[in-house]
Amino acid sequence: MRSVTPLHINGEAVDVAVPDHWTLLEAVRYDLGLTGSKQGCDKGDCGACTMLLDGKPVLSCLILARAAQGKEIRTIEGLATPAGPDAVQRAFDVCGALQCGFCQPGMILSARALLDRNPHPGDTTIREALSGNLCRCTGYTKIFEAVRLAAQGCERHVPVRYGPPAAGFNVLGARGRKADSINKATGAAVYADDIQLPRMAHGKFLRSPHAHATILTIDTTAAEAIPGVFSVLVGSELPTPYCVIPWTPDETALAVGKVRYVGEAVAAVAAVDEETANRACRAINVEYQVLPAMVEVDQALAPGATLIHETDWKGRPREDNVCKEVDLAFGDVPAGFATADAIVEGRYFYEGSNHAAIEPHCAVATWSSDDQLTLWSASQVTHYLHRELARVLGIAQEKIRVIQPALGGAFGGKSEPFDLEFAVAALSRKAGRPVKILYTREEVFYAHRGRHPMDMAFKVGGTRDGTITAVESDIVIDGGAYHSFGLVTTYYAGQLLAGPVAFGSYHFRSRRVYTNKPCCGPKRGHGSVQPRFAFECALDELAEKLALDPIEIRRRNAMRSGDTTVNGQLVPSTGVDACLDSVAKASGWNERRGRLGRGRGLGVATSMYISGTAYPVYPNEMPQSGVMLRGDRSGKITVFSGSNDIGQGSDGMLAYIVAEETGVLPDDIKVVSADSDLVPVDLGAYSSRVTYMCGIAAQEAARALRAQMVAAVAKSWSVPEEQVGVGYGVYFDRSDPGRQYGPREVLQMAEAAAGTPLCTSGGYRTRKVGGDYRGGTIGASPAYSTTAHVCEVSVDETTGIVRVEKVWAAHDCGRALNPALVEGQIEGSVYMGYAEALMEAHTFDERGLHRGPNLLDYRIPTSKECPDFFASIIETIDPGGPYGAKEAGEGPLHPIIPAIANAIHDALGIRLRRIPFTPERVLEALARRR
Amino acid sequence: MLRMDEFRFVPAQSYAEALELWQSSEAPVYLAGGTDLVPNLKHKLLRPRTVIGIGDIPGVVTERDGFLVIGAGTRLDQLAADPLVSRCLPPLAAAAGLVASPQIRAMGTLGGNILLDTRCLYLNQTEFWRNALGYCLKVEGTWCHVVGGPKTCVATQSSDTVPVLLVADARLHLLGPSGPRVLPLRDLYQYNGMDHLRVEKGELLTEIWIPVPGAGFRGSYQKLRTRDSIDFPQLGLAIGGTWEASTPTSLEIVVGAVNPQPKAVRGLDAFVGKPLDDAAVLAISDLVYRQTRPQGSTHGDTNWRRQMAAVFTRRGLLALR
Repeated sequence: MRSVTPLHINGEAVDVAVPDHWTLLEAVRYDLGLTGSKQGCDKGDCGACTMLLDGKPVLSCLILARAAQGKEIRTIEGLATPAGPDAVQRAFDVCGALQCGFCQPGMILSARALLDRNPHPGDTTIREALSGNLCRCTGYTKIFEAVRLAAQGCERHVPVRYGPPAAGFNVLGARGRKADSINKATGAAVYADDIQLPRMAHGKFLRSPHAHATILTIDTTAAEAIPGVFSVLVGSELPTPYCVIPWTPDETALAVGKVRYVGEAVAAVAAVDEETANRACRAINVEYQVLPAMVEVDQALAPGATLIHETDWKGRPREDNVCKEVDLAFGDVPAGFATADAIVEGRYFYEGSNHAAIEPHCAVATWSSDDQLTLWSASQVTHYLHRELARVLGIAQEKIRVIQPALGGAFGGKSEPFDLEFAVAALSRKAGRPVKILYTREEVFYAHRGRHPMDMAFKVGGTRDGTITAVESDIVIDGGAYHSFGLVTTYYAGQLLAGPVAFGSYHFRSRRVYTNKPCCGPKRGHGSVQPRFAFECALDELAEKLALDPIEIRRRNAMRSGDTTVNGQLVPSTGVDACLDSVAKASGWNERRGRLGRGRGLGVATSMYISGTAYPVYPNEMPQSGVMLRGDRSGKITVFSGSNDIGQGSDGMLAYIVAEETGVLPDDIKVVSADSDLVPVDLGAYSSRVTYMCGIAAQEAARALRAQMVAAVAKSWSVPEEQVGVGYGVYFDRSDPGRQYGPREVLQMAEAAAGTPLCTSGGYRTRKVGGDYRGGTIGASPAYSTTAHVCEVSVDETTGIVRVEKVWAAHDCGRALNPALVEGQIEGSVYMGYAEALMEAHTFDERGLHRGPNLLDYRIPTSKECPDFFASIIETIDPGGPYGAKEAGEGPLHPIIPAIANAIHDALGIRLRRIPFTPERVLEALARRR
Repeated sequence: MLRMDEFRFVPAQSYAEALELWQSSEAPVYLAGGTDLVPNLKHKLLRPRTVIGIGDIPGVVTERDGFLVIGAGTRLDQLAADPLVSRCLPPLAAAAGLVASPQIRAMGTLGGNILLDTRCLYLNQTEFWRNALGYCLKVEGTWCHVVGGPKTCVATQSSDTVPVLLVADARLHLLGPSGPRVLPLRDLYQYNGMDHLRVEKGELLTEIWIPVPGAGFRGSYQKLRTRDSIDFPQLGLAIGGTWEASTPTSLEIVVGAVNPQPKAVRGLDAFVGKPLDDAAVLAISDLVYRQTRPQGSTHGDTNWRRQMAAVFTRRGLLALR
């Protein structure tokens, strides 16, 4: 039933002709093309679709378009005036409140509505007003700041660089806006699901209802006969196995012969709309022979367990469900324990969790008449996706163009190819028209690649003076149905623990086990968050036994810059002491710990994390990051980079570096990224590699351009090149600072001198690092960040409810190229770890069925219960990083989980060894102690 | 995106018109705020052919003949901020303000909150998920996955306002095919998650009448949930009574969000008419504990939720006395 409905939207009267059962969100996005309102959860759990209806924030995904007739509808597109963006939009931009930007149109509208009824809200009121809008990037801190700024009125025009730079720099070290924020704040940024192509069809998957079954037959005849169906795809059409790690291809685009988890894609359909595609999926008849589901690790490891993969990727029969095992020892571990005055042992369990980026995965494919594929995908690894598309589709890489549009949050959840990217391409080829596939929120949970559940036995020994003599761990990793990054995960579970707290000897054994569940993968802090939890808790117990302060034991074993870890990783710089000093001082550790009264406590933890994994996933001698610059006579520089800006702000980072070197204002630098036809390769946004590696590439390219510009100026003034100074938007004569050129003039002179367009390039070339043993390169990184957290908790002994009151997080990121973005990464990391510690649980029942694959049952924190985060940046300049920079996006997640556990111990004397720290578990631990 | 099946939408401007439309339509259902119904439609828990919009029928709050009269279409945010409600029955305003999120409160109505369908971890899921599960007793299946049996559905009545309305002895004004009638709220619910409302087919809730509590009324509502926003209650506990200093002259406690039917605690008369000392507070919380039997149809360990009912009782009474 389709009726014409007059709507009043953003001050305009428009008629929409959509079916009665369409929601306002569907009508506004897909009929009116106002795509600023986002869709995150399908059903009213996330707030991304918030619009104002007669001035009040409402969820447009739960309102029928027809029911909105007669109401004044305001979307994000209606907030700006001809004079420019609204104060709230500007404030979100200026404060760094937009990372991926996906939740923000809704968030900004909620904030606008709040300020309209209460121009000067207090903090509690702000938290309350935004509590129906989930944000996954920011930890809300910068959002609160933005609302306060908007309430005061936010300046109309703020340049990209708006704070003072670090000493000796023009741009770097300054607080700055992100390259793409204002587009995101106004709803103009185009995300994958915002792309609408002429004649575009919509794809849907038929997914397995069984956790483990053999596929006997698939009959698609009935589906193909449904009017409006353009193409149907089954697994046998794309049988080439793939994996992001080329050594372990064990997955196919659609299931071939067998399904291994509930929700695995078996077939796909492209049709005129999603409803028709869904109907066609239901018409596909699949005959299964159900196999025993190996849901838990214990089942999968039991003798005689049903094999989830009968053979490995080389066709050799498998004997068990262990997909990878690593067993490495460094130093004399038995002697280490023999000399220890105290030994602690404990078994820890880390629950799985999902990235829950607010944007569900989405991909759009189209083929040109000459058989070239263009694929837009919400991916953080466009280059690896490009390679795997070619392999699986059986076409040459040069016939494929992969583009990453604006991306609504990733956190590792979009860092490998997924079924939808292969299927959308193949469906489009078969259908002869563009196709889009957008996951439902439920499908995001099935695609997963989230945090691995780990069952960890830890033993730590130390001597009376606090020296840690030996560490031993045995870790069983629940991998889910496929390999993903599993080879790396299994190493990381042991390899990344050996700093910043050093130990004398180390033995770890880790085994990743296949189970009949969605595949786990790299979630922010890949592989190392779990053992870090166990180790930092054990360390506190050891300190207690040795009668040492928890901060003191960490200080006594703290690594120094230039040290090598027990497993052979060189750590060029580490600021662990400074981090500990910072959080101890900020939290009042010495004065307050142990004196907060029963039920309130402080806890500390530290961590260290890689700034990029040293080697590409496929061995090659080419640069890991490439950047090309085009200096234009208009005065603008365009940066071409394969790096993926996933909301962390890497486009901005490139602009700041190029501005620093060339003197062109950051406002005049345009970044074109992640479009494989236009930009040089970068391996992607994973392993916290982008600032370090792509930053070095940008620095090299910018220095080459600067050299040409300086030479042109020197020639013009007939002075030696050393005499030419480069400032912020100016070239000047060092001996006569009044003599100046603007960047535009300099670019023109340089272009004239070159006689060709101004083009330079730079690269990051793999540096040889790592231990000299098998696996010694995994966990090796050119640089390591360090972090320390102190958190304060209150625990209600009667209810068992834990509240995290405050978190002080000090993170050594080397040089902070833009402190506002670094803080955002720290706050967002702490938030995500806090959420894992207290509430998130990606769990399954005995059938292998997810216990609630939606954002109502899988709870992620709202603005109301989120603690206050106090981020402080420690700058231990790294000798190898660009301007001394290291990573900030993942390291700061690690310490919060053990810091909370340790604070709970300080509050009540109980040790919790299993996350999340639910009230039931707190009460159980209290009861056990009594 | 999760899509709904096709239906026809017809808006009504009055309850009488809505009823007429209901009587003349194929497989109809009423839609007020939509915050409960639309997710259920997306989950294919029901498949109406006609959706009758009653969301534009205004809800007004007035005082009439000693009653606080609230139109069923009153939005929850309106209720939470209404000066009359805040003066006459503060716990109702508080409970309305604790429902879900600001957006949901701006959309959801009091009528909808009272008539909220029962919820269950095994029910409020997609069609794909429920199919993989083998469906459940309430919709398309034969087995309750909570109790593990074929007979009783224990899906939860999850309203935040209902426990308060029960202690305040609210009455519902209904309009149905057989005319208007008044139903005490305490007679609305029954312990059957599949059919927990004792209403006739097509019946509409038009107004909620609450006797204006006397000067000595004191009450409270406490909600247990993981997050401080968005979540449904894992337990909701309302206390209400008339007090002379620390002596209750009447006392009611209702436990919500544990069963298909809110639980009115029995045996409180024994504590009326004498000062509520610490021993009495403990005895009452013990009574509540014994009478509360949470089902596993929502989040949180059932034993823990039961213990929390006692804790809420104790804390609530200590704050009120």
